[in-house]
Amino acid sequence: MNRAGRTFSDSWYRIADLKVSLRPTVAVRKHYFRGALWYILHDPFNNQFFRLRPASWAFVSRLRPDRPVSEVWQRCLERHPDETPGQEDVIHLLTQLFSSSLLFFETPADTEKVFGRYEKRRTQEMRSRLMSVLFMRIPLWDPEQTLQKISGLIRLLVGPVGGMVWAVTVLAALKVFVDGFDRAMDQAQGVLAPDNLIFLYLALLVIKGLHEFGHAFACKRFGGEIHTMGIMLLILTPMPYIDTTSSWSFRSRRHRAFVGAAGILAEIFMAALATLVWAHTGAGGLHSLAYNIMFLASFSTLVFNANPLLRFDGYYIFSDLLDIPNLHTQARAHLKYLAQRYLFGIREASTPAEDAHEAFWLTGFGVASALYRVIVFVGILFFVADMYLPLGALMVCAGLITWGVMPLVRMVGYLAVSPDLVKNRCRAVSITLLAGGLLLILLLVYPFPSRFTAPGVLAAESTRHVFNDTAGYVDQLLVPSSTWVATGTPLIRLRNRELTFEIREAMAQYEETLALYKKAALESAGELDSILKRLTAHEMHLDNLRRKESHLIVRAHQRGLWVSPQGHEMVGVWLARGRQVGDLVDPERFQFSAVVPQKMAAHLFEGRILGAVVRLYGQAQIDLGVDDYQIIPFEQKRLPSAALGWRSGGGVATSMADRTGLETVEPFFHIYAHLKPDVSVAFFQGRSGKICFVLPDQPLVGQAIRYMRQLIQKRYQL
Amino acid sequence: MMTTSREYQRTHIVMPASIPGGVDGVISGLVGRYRRNPVAVGGLKREAEMIDRRGHALGSLSGGALHHRLQELKIRFRREGRDKRPLVQDALATLSEAAYRTLGMRPYPVQLMGALALNRGWLAEMATGEGKTLTVTLPAVLAGWTGRPCHVITANDYLAARDVAEMRPLFDYCGLSTGCVTGEMMPEERKASYDCGVVYTTSKEILADFLRDRLKMAPFHHASRRLIRGLHRPGAQTPDGVVMRGIDTAFVDEADSVLIDEAVTPLIISVARENPLLKEVILTAHEMAESLERFRHYQVDEKRRDIFLTEAGHDVLERSAHRLKGMWQGKSRQVELLKQTLCARELYHRDQHYVVQEGTIIIVDAFTGRLMPHRTWSHGLHQAVEMKEGVAMTDPAETLARLSFQQFFRFFRHLAGMTGTGQEAASEFWHIYTLPYVSIPTHRPCIRTLARDAVFLNRDQKWAAVVAEIVRAHRMDRPVLVGTRSVEESEVLAERLTSEGLVFKVLNAVRHADEAQIVAGAGEKGSITIATNMAGRGTDIKLGSGVVELGGLHVIATERHETGRVDRQLFGRCARQGNPGSAQAFISLDDELIRNKAPGWASTWLSTALVAKVPGACAMVKKVCLSAQRAAERQAYRQRKNVLKNDAWMAEALSFTGSESF
Repeated sequence: MNRAGRTFSDSWYRIADLKVSLRPTVAVRKHYFRGALWYILHDPFNNQFFRLRPASWAFVSRLRPDRPVSEVWQRCLERHPDETPGQEDVIHLLTQLFSSSLLFFETPADTEKVFGRYEKRRTQEMRSRLMSVLFMRIPLWDPEQTLQKISGLIRLLVGPVGGMVWAVTVLAALKVFVDGFDRAMDQAQGVLAPDNLIFLYLALLVIKGLHEFGHAFACKRFGGEIHTMGIMLLILTPMPYIDTTSSWSFRSRRHRAFVGAAGILAEIFMAALATLVWAHTGAGGLHSLAYNIMFLASFSTLVFNANPLLRFDGYYIFSDLLDIPNLHTQARAHLKYLAQRYLFGIREASTPAEDAHEAFWLTGFGVASALYRVIVFVGILFFVADMYLPLGALMVCAGLITWGVMPLVRMVGYLAVSPDLVKNRCRAVSITLLAGGLLLILLLVYPFPSRFTAPGVLAAESTRHVFNDTAGYVDQLLVPSSTWVATGTPLIRLRNRELTFEIREAMAQYEETLALYKKAALESAGELDSILKRLTAHEMHLDNLRRKESHLIVRAHQRGLWVSPQGHEMVGVWLARGRQVGDLVDPERFQFSAVVPQKMAAHLFEGRILGAVVRLYGQAQIDLGVDDYQIIPFEQKRLPSAALGWRSGGGVATSMADRTGLETVEPFFHIYAHLKPDVSVAFFQGRSGKICFVLPDQPLVGQAIRYMRQLIQKRYQL
Repeated sequence: MMTTSREYQRTHIVMPASIPGGVDGVISGLVGRYRRNPVAVGGLKREAEMIDRRGHALGSLSGGALHHRLQELKIRFRREGRDKRPLVQDALATLSEAAYRTLGMRPYPVQLMGALALNRGWLAEMATGEGKTLTVTLPAVLAGWTGRPCHVITANDYLAARDVAEMRPLFDYCGLSTGCVTGEMMPEERKASYDCGVVYTTSKEILADFLRDRLKMAPFHHASRRLIRGLHRPGAQTPDGVVMRGIDTAFVDEADSVLIDEAVTPLIISVARENPLLKEVILTAHEMAESLERFRHYQVDEKRRDIFLTEAGHDVLERSAHRLKGMWQGKSRQVELLKQTLCARELYHRDQHYVVQEGTIIIVDAFTGRLMPHRTWSHGLHQAVEMKEGVAMTDPAETLARLSFQQFFRFFRHLAGMTGTGQEAASEFWHIYTLPYVSIPTHRPCIRTLARDAVFLNRDQKWAAVVAEIVRAHRMDRPVLVGTRSVEESEVLAERLTSEGLVFKVLNAVRHADEAQIVAGAGEKGSITIATNMAGRGTDIKLGSGVVELGGLHVIATERHETGRVDRQLFGRCARQGNPGSAQAFISLDDELIRNKAPGWASTWLSTALVAKVPGACAMVKKVCLSAQRAAERQAYRQRKNVLKNDAWMAEALSFTGSESF
């Protein structure tokens, strides 16, 4: 007890002559929290816990059902005058023990009040259950007996043998995973694709089931009892859960931490097995399921379960390792203390922290978890709102009430009437008003940068396609792709034997005709004219063929960057005449071709855009200036590049039916932005990135409202 | 013969619901506002006039017939209760005639209105001097007829005895026995009185008897438990010495003082028990405190009645405490013990908070200024004060039972009240006791002249002006009543008046013996009376012959009090029952109200304005006083509500000590 109550109490007479003691079933254990000695009382009959400091325990342990409280207190005072709790503390202590049902007493209690309290507790439980719709628990079954039966197996699993198996499997899986890393990452693009969702949920059920049994086995192994198993509606998704609170009474904090960690260990084991299965199967149902399990059991475990900021396993492990029980409550109490002590200047405020070290952890944890909870809640909110609007709206209301209105009302009440503030009310109120005012100004008035982004790809402003004029097999690429070429530089050499033969044939015909011409000139001048005509025709044909032949060397017809993406694949390939073999690109003038989805389109046409910059993937730190941009003012449904669509890992939803991956689900607006040249960035055709439009600065609330409106309008056409 | 139902009645109490908070509280507040709407008064008035007419009509009835009628009514009330309107109207009409025949007084319609309101469980505000004594008699008869215990709570013993004596003929005529319970009575007398149909007593007596009865019955305060015990041990149903019949209906006179101002101080039943440990600790603390100086070692916060140790003080404490043993080891305990001794020295003043009489400390009630023998401060504070005054240290009282009046009056099944000044506390009456407030008009218009407040810079000027005003009124032979805040101040004024050579009477805690008589004599020609706060409340000041022509009683308030009700109460001493009278308040800027309850800048600002004779400064002072009063009242209300909340919490937390134990 941090703050000693007063030595004498007005109400002492109420308990002075009582004869009370601890219930005979209460078990007591010594326990060290952060090096400080505590006594833990535990009644296995009602699973109630209570912890006492040694001074209080010294008093409580002396209580006998045949001795009045005042006598015990007097004796304690004589023996340990310095440590014995004051009368007020004693009353408080007995009251708490009584409300934890750890007290045995002979006098008939005020049954009405006892029942009243029971009712109150039940309604409170009910209310908290309703309030936490997101994490509702429905108990179903008592697994204790079954677990008893298989205790041999549990010993085997949670022991050296199990540990070895676990370690070997996980190591093997790790190796497989590292080997197949690229493949694994590739598939990751498709994890959240809709056709995988059913698999995902099934995998989740399996994993969470094993997770819970991991806890249960570990708890059982160290002597805990498990009496409740059931279904938890986690954000309306049914998940199994097992109640292993009996592990809280484990004396060793390593055991406690292990029980907390067992679920995660089980999941990692699952992930390892799944990795092995995934690596050794070809595409198919099993492969897909294994992949999903692999993904879920590692990713979700690390982000959610092992995260100490959420109140899942990580929190309890963290709490055990820090040796601060009730970390969350204590952190809140500590933050409250900080505010009271340093903001409101209440000198009497007390902190639950025992030392500076603990204070540090409590502060850090308190701040981090508060922020994190808000973020997670907002995230969940959007998720649910996305799925089902009425429920989302309900949750927004519930969230606003529990996190907005109620704390506000409590705060106002606290400021108005709390006896803590008797001396500092003025200061407290003004500081709160000031802070609130600042916050409001920050949210409602102070303009923040506002911007929106759209994906797109780079495209040169002037691109000349290069075609082959003569058909032929590609013999050699004379210049590699992405080379700067001058006009007339040979690019590709083609081979065409038919053409050679044709030329020879034509040559022969020409010579034949020439010979005929010479002969006629001597013999019959009358035919000369017609032969001359023939000769000319043959000559022209030959010339034509020669020119064709010269075109077997494809040359650059202008200066520029030679881009031929499939160049090396073309060698030896027959190219009919007029096929595009590559592009000649002018690298000085590039434009960014961006795709603006409908919901953002309002920004485009409001004309409030101050400017824009482009950031390319891989070099996002460099802002590329935009000279000007052009909006093509009609909706389109074909992407400029497949790279922007879902099918190729982009962000724009594309139609499943379209194999090219260019057809979008929703229409969009096309924007061409002309980029300023920048030497530090390699411009090349088709490089993707984002264009970022800068809007006038706007307060955060305004931005949020606009965003919400767009979201609602888009999802629900309201 | 004790019937089973009577046995249940003896200990049955209504466990009050907790005070609604949050939204419930707001709704309940709105309901209260609706219930105290003035329309209800109109209805009451029509009903009262109708009853009055019917009462007059009964004048022709013969004595026997009237008596018979009363007998019949008694039986009907026993059977049907007192909620049925026609029955109540009938009964009140008959009673009004009976009162006329037995007492020679016929209740005015406004008194009938009051009676109706009381019967319905309302809080009736009736101006001082409107005959509340007769008013309360009527519903008391109705309640007495139902056969359930009925208590009329008066402001003091004198009034209880006087009212019973005055009203007994009517009660007798109605077939009801009456009793009064006062301080000096023995248990047997008390039992006899409590057995009567209607009992007049004071709040302290009834609560003390209630607690003593509970203590005697111990775990058997449950009727079922008593009856079961009676089955296997015949004749042992009720333990010896239990005096009360139970509590059911109470009509509280001066309800604002009983139910509000004095309501939070708990009544404590205690026995002195030797506690050498405590005495030793107090002694050590006293010795240690000798060496401490104000400002250097500790600071006194008079506004909040608290003491802080400075760094130097803590040093001294640490240095001296480590040599000591026992309780002095714990850090916070040291501070607590030392603070207590310093409190006794700095915050408890002789003749203001207590007086020393015959080597003992007697506490003075802060509100009434009355002495409260047998009352002690707890936790060793009493011993610390004794130490300070150098009188023999008494054994600390060990509490056996304690209960606040506030909590106690919530146990009644029917509660109703009357007061001269209730409007300011209407919402509190509603929230805590669910008493709707109703204001009953006066029988004759009030012709009190209320002079503008006289404002002064400091006390000296104020006292000089008060004395001058007394002399001025005295020269005209008008009786003067001066109200002071504390015993100390009344002594100060007494000295000044003595030096002026005036003859006067002082009524304060120290000289309280015949309080009511002094107040009653205050209306004689040329008399000067100095009285603390609320001394002699409830007593009518009868004007001497020829006083009316002089302009009636002149009341001087030497200070504005923390609640406007006390001021109004004091002013209400003059101009009663249509008589003339005048009143004036004297305020100085260093009065406690302005010093403690108004913001600091206000008094500086006002004094500058007064010195510079800024026009309207006096009006500003009055405004500041009013807002300070309002702030003080709010604070006090909050405090009382907190006490109640704490009590409720305690009751719940300690429910394992047994039910309904206090």
